Amino acid sequence: MKKVLAVTLIFCMVFVFSACGNSSKNSGDEIVIGNLLPLSGTAASLGKIGKQARDMAVEEINEAGGIKSMGGAKIKMIYADSKGDSAEGVTQTEKLITQDEVQLITGCYQSGVAMASTEVSERYGIPYFVPVPSDDQITARDFKYVFRLAEKTSWRNRDQVKFIEDLAKQTGTDIKTWAIVYESSSWGQGALTALKKYIPEAGYKIVLEEAYNTGTTDLTPVVLKVKEAKPDVILMVAYVSEAALMTNSFIEQGVNPKVFIGTSGGFADPTYFDLVGNNCEYFYDISTWEPDVNRKYSEEVNKKFAEKYGYNMNAEAVKAYSAMYVIADALERAGSTDPDEICKAMAETKLTEGPQQCYSSEISFDETGQMINAPLVISQFRKVDGVMSRVTVWPKEEARTGWEPVFPYPGVGNGPEDK
Amino acid sequence: MSLMPAIVNGISIGAIYGLIAMGLTLIFGIMRVINFAQGALLMFSMMISYGIWTITGVNPYILIIIVGPIMFCFGYIVEVTMIRPVLKAQSDVREPLSVLLLTASFAVVLENLALMIFGGNYRMAQSSFSDKTYSVGDVFLSAPRLYGLIIALVVSLLFYIFLKKTEIGRQLRATGQDRNTAALMGINAEKTFAIAFGLGTALLSVAGLVLLPFYYVHPTVGEVFMTRAFIVVILGGLGSVPGALVGGIIIGLIETVGAQFMTASITSVLIYLVFLIVLFVKPSGLFGSPFEW
Repeated sequence: MKKVLAVTLIFCMVFVFSACGNSSKNSGDEIVIGNLLPLSGTAASLGKIGKQARDMAVEEINEAGGIKSMGGAKIKMIYADSKGDSAEGVTQTEKLITQDEVQLITGCYQSGVAMASTEVSERYGIPYFVPVPSDDQITARDFKYVFRLAEKTSWRNRDQVKFIEDLAKQTGTDIKTWAIVYESSSWGQGALTALKKYIPEAGYKIVLEEAYNTGTTDLTPVVLKVKEAKPDVILMVAYVSEAALMTNSFIEQGVNPKVFIGTSGGFADPTYFDLVGNNCEYFYDISTWEPDVNRKYSEEVNKKFAEKYGYNMNAEAVKAYSAMYVIADALERAGSTDPDEICKAMAETKLTEGPQQCYSSEISFDETGQMINAPLVISQFRKVDGVMSRVTVWPKEEARTGWEPVFPYPGVGNGPEDK
Repeated sequence: MSLMPAIVNGISIGAIYGLIAMGLTLIFGIMRVINFAQGALLMFSMMISYGIWTITGVNPYILIIIVGPIMFCFGYIVEVTMIRPVLKAQSDVREPLSVLLLTASFAVVLENLALMIFGGNYRMAQSSFSDKTYSVGDVFLSAPRLYGLIIALVVSLLFYIFLKKTEIGRQLRATGQDRNTAALMGINAEKTFAIAFGLGTALLSVAGLVLLPFYYVHPTVGEVFMTRAFIVVILGGLGSVPGALVGGIIIGLIETVGAQFMTASITSVLIYLVFLIVLFVKPSGLFGSPFEW
């Protein structure tokens, strides 16, 4: 027993010391930026791609001479693991600020973590740049130090409804009823609130709102319930594990609505196609970026990323990548690492040139710290030369040339690509 | 509204819960050790199966004859090298706490090891029959779930017969009832423990293989099933093999049928409610022996 105790204590001490060991201060030629990402846990794959995108951007910025107004200071990233958990996110943010003494924090994947951890940074007066989480509330709390590059969840839902309205009119499809399947945490509930506003506004009816818990074992119960409700549109809000289980179960159970539409997140995860195979054919998804989207720099940045890491970027990676350029620009104009100076520079951002245009041609923030006019596109999962791909189909000016959306849903293996 | 689809699908997933819980209940019934590494071992076995499947591409169910023995040996070795020394040091305690901590920390090690080696990506073994679905009227059941149900039932039955009819089975049960008396009768209790742990782990590998064609593989997949397995074991009665299967099916049914009447995220409340009621009415679980406690 004593031996076990001794070994345990030694382990504890090693952990404590190693935790202290990597704290680093801002020195003259280095600007330390704290990063909070889910590097383990269920969203670890998303955390990883976010980290890779940031590293690539920072590498480019440093290679191009760093922050010139601060004597060519290089950006150094410190990563903290939120495990996708709000409580852990708070602890890690606290650690970044008090132990690592960072002057600027960025990161987060889950909205819940962003909500909790931004409260910590606000209390300490440290600017927090949020590239990915989209919960409306993040920039609706009158926080002074929070800036967001992502669109609001409600904008995504607004455009989903707009898209369906548009396509129903174009194709003369009769659409009346919607079913919403959403994960029960902050993100899903935010989406539900917005959808309950936009769907009735467009003259449609919601026949089913179904919540499920993330980390649930089986989604067949939910799928059976949706099947029973026979909606025209099935709208799904899910992280990747549930997005995959849900998609497979919908096909297994022979559910056949007029439209399947996802809300980014898990549907935009690069591993999604491996998990569902052909089952996702003709599903729609909304996002802010696609590899085939018609935007400046988009192709080059993605090509470089794919060569470096072996797979394409996703919208979250593009936002994470662009975020580093927005931060670098703000630091350049601030000319110091003083939190208030950074904040002031960030608020005055008006970026119309540079690689971050792969995300948006113009980046500026409103008085709440929210990016104005975040761009949104709809893609459809189609077989391109036999390989399942995301094909941008809406809006027309950003769509892949030569591709028309298949609407209504024809069923797996019954569409134009299968003939 | 027809409830048949929900009932059929509930039974099919429930049988798999039962299979996962069976190893847990066996290990507890015989060793009085609550194996917190059960979920991690399930994940570990799924990863091995996934690895072999990617290399060979054979039907996952055939892999039972390969992965089953591998996991048995793995469990046996884990028992001999890690659990036995701790158990020995606490031989005068009825439910050794440090073994519990040992299994919990072993789970953490396994999960993080998997994350290191395997990475955080979700994977799925898409087999030729993964997309196949059988249907009768409005009841749809996918092929992997149907096969999973059949395999779970057959394995439970075989395992039950094994425990009741064979010499090793008798030794296992005797050790479970009273390890000292069993030792006096000439049973090698230490070896029996190792066999029990190995068997518990081998049963998990069957559950893992049944899940493989329709469920994702990920370092956290064990956690997803772990809480369910614990409820199933206590609901069915700690140490009872038929209890695990019946308990699993009950949980599967509550979850699936319950979701037709309420929001799916609330069905877990229902599960715990039924669980509490059973504990109030029959604290030893549905099939547990009341004299044990």
